[in-house]
Amino acid sequence: MSWKIWSLRKSPWVFHVNTGACNNCDIEIVNLLTPKFDVERFGIKLVGSPRHADALLVTGVVTAQAAPRLREIYRQTPKPCVVFCIGACACDTGIFKDGYHVVGPVDKIIREVDPDAIIAYVPGCPPKPEAMISGVVKALSAL
Amino acid sequence: MNQEELNSRLSEIEEKLIAVEQPADNRIFLSCEAENAYSLNKFLFEDVPLRFVIATGIDSDDCFEVLYHYSYDETSCMVTLKAIIRDREKPAIESIAPFLPGAEWIEREIHDLLGIEFENHPDMRRLILADDWPEGVYPLRKEANGIKVKGWTGDTSSRPSVESSAHRTVRLAKPVLAVGPFHPLQEEMEFFQLTVDGEIVTDIDMRISYNHRGIEKISETLQFDQVPFLVSRVCGICSASHPLAYVQALEQLAGVKPPERALYVRTIINELERIHSHMLWFGLAGHFIGYDTVFMWAWRYREPVLDLLEEISGNRNQYGNVKVGGCREDVPDELKPKILQEIDGIERKMDMLIKAVVDDPVLHARLKGVGVLSKEAAIKYAVTGPTARASGVAIDVRRDDPYAAYGDLDWSVISRPEGDVFAKVVVRLLEVIESIKIIRQAVRKLPDGPVTTEVKEIPPGEAVGHAEAPRGETFHYVRSDGGNRPIRHKVRAPSYVNVPSFKASCIGGHIADVTITLAAVDPCYSCTERLAVVDSHNKVIHDYEALLRMSRERTSQIKKGIGEQGLNLEDL
Repeated sequence: MSWKIWSLRKSPWVFHVNTGACNNCDIEIVNLLTPKFDVERFGIKLVGSPRHADALLVTGVVTAQAAPRLREIYRQTPKPCVVFCIGACACDTGIFKDGYHVVGPVDKIIREVDPDAIIAYVPGCPPKPEAMISGVVKALSAL
Repeated sequence: MNQEELNSRLSEIEEKLIAVEQPADNRIFLSCEAENAYSLNKFLFEDVPLRFVIATGIDSDDCFEVLYHYSYDETSCMVTLKAIIRDREKPAIESIAPFLPGAEWIEREIHDLLGIEFENHPDMRRLILADDWPEGVYPLRKEANGIKVKGWTGDTSSRPSVESSAHRTVRLAKPVLAVGPFHPLQEEMEFFQLTVDGEIVTDIDMRISYNHRGIEKISETLQFDQVPFLVSRVCGICSASHPLAYVQALEQLAGVKPPERALYVRTIINELERIHSHMLWFGLAGHFIGYDTVFMWAWRYREPVLDLLEEISGNRNQYGNVKVGGCREDVPDELKPKILQEIDGIERKMDMLIKAVVDDPVLHARLKGVGVLSKEAAIKYAVTGPTARASGVAIDVRRDDPYAAYGDLDWSVISRPEGDVFAKVVVRLLEVIESIKIIRQAVRKLPDGPVTTEVKEIPPGEAVGHAEAPRGETFHYVRSDGGNRPIRHKVRAPSYVNVPSFKASCIGGHIADVTITLAAVDPCYSCTERLAVVDSHNKVIHDYEALLRMSRERTSQIKKGIGEQGLNLEDL
């Protein structure tokens, strides 16, 4: 295991990207910070800049307007960076599959920038906060 | 003015109309030619006066239609003016935005989606479609069938124009504050560009589209019974009110009355949703002005509400509970004591929060007189919900056009005349108490019986439905041709009219007040996205954190000032 991966597995800092979600996954992500789930006790922290992020929490279908911004944000992250697709929309565009303004899903857009990107999926509409924690733990232990 | 007087006022314009339909006592559909639409709209909005709700653009086979929806809240009458544009080659109609700023966005949207030209519109830039969407491709036109528009490559590699326009402004040596489109803490994308003079905001510009998923078009491909699952995903926080407004439109079209118990179940779920949404907002508002304890408290006390919703519907946020003719899931009788017990607990915590807000001189000093939206501006921008009620416009669909079980229960509409951020805080705090009252009564009175009736088919026709979401009125317009899918479905979420009112509430304000003023209407994104202040004079670039810090420093300055001068609560 490279030292980069080794260091990524402890206390990952995450940046939250909404690419056209209904807000539900987003409020559940914010919920992770609040007393009931409190992921900061595991060292997981939401950061304000992608340049500080070890992982991206991406929600939403990726709309035409959001796609260039998602690519740009992914480019700005230090590598390796784990991309978490949170929710059904981010995983495979869900109920919005046929929308004319939808260019997603997230993995397709990220792979355009980096074919070897590390991508993890947390399905659900919305996934429960417990599912997100479990997804992060599983993905990091699989690295 | 009662319904008959309204009808007689409307009969004054009869000679300009080509048809009048009244499918129900409080639903009126008027039709006119496009040339008369401007004067008729002016009459409806200014002379009657009615409250503007939204406009809908429709591609009928041989013509275009623009529907202007109005509401007369005293008698809960929805008036729809249908303007028919017969020229399919160059569809055009006169804009009503010059006297009705609340219609500015929707006219831009109709232009984007249907290619209808609005003459004399003050600002016909692109609103809802992506920057690189090809010109002349209109996704809601019938010929653009098969949804994914052909000829569009999906190539989104060019730099976005919003940001480039912000950069251009900088080159012009005009200080701007760019807000968005991403922000570190929360929710959705949005881009604001504030022009500043020193510390004072002189102009505000907005760009949406980041979140445009084309729900109205997708809805035309789904069956009537599938659409509630789609519209509950318009917004995850309003996921009970959107489907409710939609099924109410269909129930009216089909002439179905859901069973009594279903109405009560709908009431309980909608009010639980309101409580969790308002608590979510207190938390964020507290965070923006530097009270992180409030953030943690409010979100913690919100958890029991989500747990209750999970026990009732099986999910914390997307309930998927409402359907045409009733509800999918019942509130089990064994759960009643638990609901009552939990909401008692929430009420105690809310009392504590209310006392903490009302007794805190710092909050009075920080929030009073900030981001004022006057009553006149509230009417002009056609705002709804707590934003309107905090500006003295006491409208509430639950009372004005009682749906579900609200008519049988005892509760009151909270309104405040001031229009500032403090008034919005107070309105929401007290509304939670009203919601608790409503749930308590609804659970105690919950009648026996089934929660669903059978609905055979949806007849051809059109109907409107509305419901009071936590942020204001959600409005749905559905047209059916007798098949199994809607041929047009228009959704108006409350933030769509509340957000443009920033133009009235932010300009002239302090930069440090912008975060809380934008957040005060509880938009579906929190607006304090990644902020960057660019001041061209000294080339200082502030980011989101700097802005948040400015907002918090202002709070602590006020705190200090209060301490030094020994002010007490009575003085404020």
